[in-house]
Amino acid sequence: MNKKIRIAIPNKGRLKKPAIEALGRAGIEVLEEDRAYVSKTSDPRFEAIFARANDIPVYVQYGAVDLGVTGHDLIQERDANVLELLDLEFGKCTLVVAVPEDSTIKSVSEVPALARVATGFPNITRKFFEKLGKQVEVLEVSGTAELAPKLGLAQIIVDLTSTGETLKKNKLRIIGTVMESTTRLACNKIAYRNFEKQINELLARMRGGLE
Amino acid sequence: MPNEVKQYRYIENQLRKNFESWNYSEVRSPTIEFVETLSTGVGAELVDTMFKFQDFDGKLLALRAEMTAPVARIVTTRMPSAPEPIRLFYVNNVFRYSQSYLKREREFCQAGVELVCCNTPEADGEILALLISSLKQVGLKEVRIDLGYASLLKDLLNAAGLDKQQKASVMGLLACRDSVGLKKFMEKSSISSKLRDAFLQLSRCRRLDEVSSISLNGSKYDELNKQLKSLSELQETLVDYGIDDLVFFDFSLTKKIEYYTGIVFEASVPNLGLPLGGGGRYDNFIEKFGKLKLPATGFALEIGKLLQALTAQGSEIPDDPKPRVIVASKFRDTAVKAVKILREAGVIASLEITKRSLEKTIEYGKLTETDYVVSVGSSLKSPVTVYAVKSSASRDVMLESFLKELGGQR
Repeated sequence: MNKKIRIAIPNKGRLKKPAIEALGRAGIEVLEEDRAYVSKTSDPRFEAIFARANDIPVYVQYGAVDLGVTGHDLIQERDANVLELLDLEFGKCTLVVAVPEDSTIKSVSEVPALARVATGFPNITRKFFEKLGKQVEVLEVSGTAELAPKLGLAQIIVDLTSTGETLKKNKLRIIGTVMESTTRLACNKIAYRNFEKQINELLARMRGGLE
Repeated sequence: MPNEVKQYRYIENQLRKNFESWNYSEVRSPTIEFVETLSTGVGAELVDTMFKFQDFDGKLLALRAEMTAPVARIVTTRMPSAPEPIRLFYVNNVFRYSQSYLKREREFCQAGVELVCCNTPEADGEILALLISSLKQVGLKEVRIDLGYASLLKDLLNAAGLDKQQKASVMGLLACRDSVGLKKFMEKSSISSKLRDAFLQLSRCRRLDEVSSISLNGSKYDELNKQLKSLSELQETLVDYGIDDLVFFDFSLTKKIEYYTGIVFEASVPNLGLPLGGGGRYDNFIEKFGKLKLPATGFALEIGKLLQALTAQGSEIPDDPKPRVIVASKFRDTAVKAVKILREAGVIASLEITKRSLEKTIEYGKLTETDYVVSVGSSLKSPVTVYAVKSSASRDVMLESFLKELGGQR
């Protein structure tokens, strides 16, 4: 079979640059970073595809691309059935439950029944509260969940934080952790079978780059 | 859409033809059955995906979500004294409910086979060979099967004496193909070196003949060795079928459905990132429906996935070779007679039933992939006018000689 191995890379945001660098250290340099959705790489066996980090888990699961660099949180949120071959260790962040600083809620166990929770991660949030046996109303917002309490949309948010700065600025207090996340190299299950040799070789080089 | 149905039908027919030529007989089961029947032994995860509702008397019903349980019920209740082995197949739709907003599909068309009352390597070999030949019959290229053993991993984990959390980490490492992590875990753990080697070797094995070289000493590993040996016996059967180079070993392959006891497998092609279907051996399943303990094995393919794979490989569904003809005439009695003669000769023929002009009929023919429009007069004893739709040529010819020409084309 004479097919190129396609790697999806986030087309913007905080994961894009480190993703390109990690591949570069493993000997796959992306050649047309700014111009195209599909880019050649310095290794003729691989081809880079730029896509939204949110969409990459689904692209990988359905085999539209063979590999993808994306967050563990996004893979979980999209419930994508993919192989997480490697933890690339960058893009560290935590998905937390937060409330306004003046809220009386001190921990997730105190979250009242039927509370409204605003989040960009509705699936993970729903599962998290279900596991706690809490019935909450999950409101999906894309992006700025931290605004929701200010506007009276929700008393609680579930959002990503890496330094805690944004939460502090918006006068929000963390009351619990949902999950920790880092960037992963995700792989389509069938692509792994077909390209096992090439992918393992790439993995070895990427591991080398991490040490 | 008629065109899509044609593609589905083509695939279904190819599969039917192949299953029949391997001496499998078709069965049908009700779309709706009692939840109790459908959920026997299939595992909670599948039961959760069933569309359930109530009968008038309050009994719980569901749409079938897979076909193995319905076939098992048929075998135990309707065919109790059937001579063994029993070879059955089905082409059916199944229904699965999904809470995820990503997985929109709820109805799937499945074609599958069950080989009941036999647990020889020959039976497993037959199922795998039939799977490969069915995919080839449909027109797929570069088919491969990845195969695991349902209880091998579980039994090894138990033999190693790992606790629940450790088991979960090993499964996680295997599922992510993290060979480095697995090695580190094994080095740190207290597992005996014999078992440790077996884990690492099995996780590296991709071919069945590599698996057969692994064995563990000591009588407490008898059950494990039996499983390993059965894989090497299967390998020999596959060699005889000439398909050993298409079947690969995958230690980590597990299935969501709980009833599998022996080999489990998935079929795929490189052009499609999702499995086309799969199956496995289920020796303790059918007894749950009756007193009979009947070992069995089988597989199911998803017709929609096969169609996607064919499209991805750029293969086209072959066109129906039969010529298409529209008969137009002012004389209805002659036209009806002409259409009948054409149909009896194996031509796809339809009657012009609108009162439109001949040019309009030819125009319609162009749009509907018709080969000829035949205009007949008051009697078939005189020549008819044949318009070749593609070339726009027309000529007068006796209907019988036109039929002969068509016969020559076929």
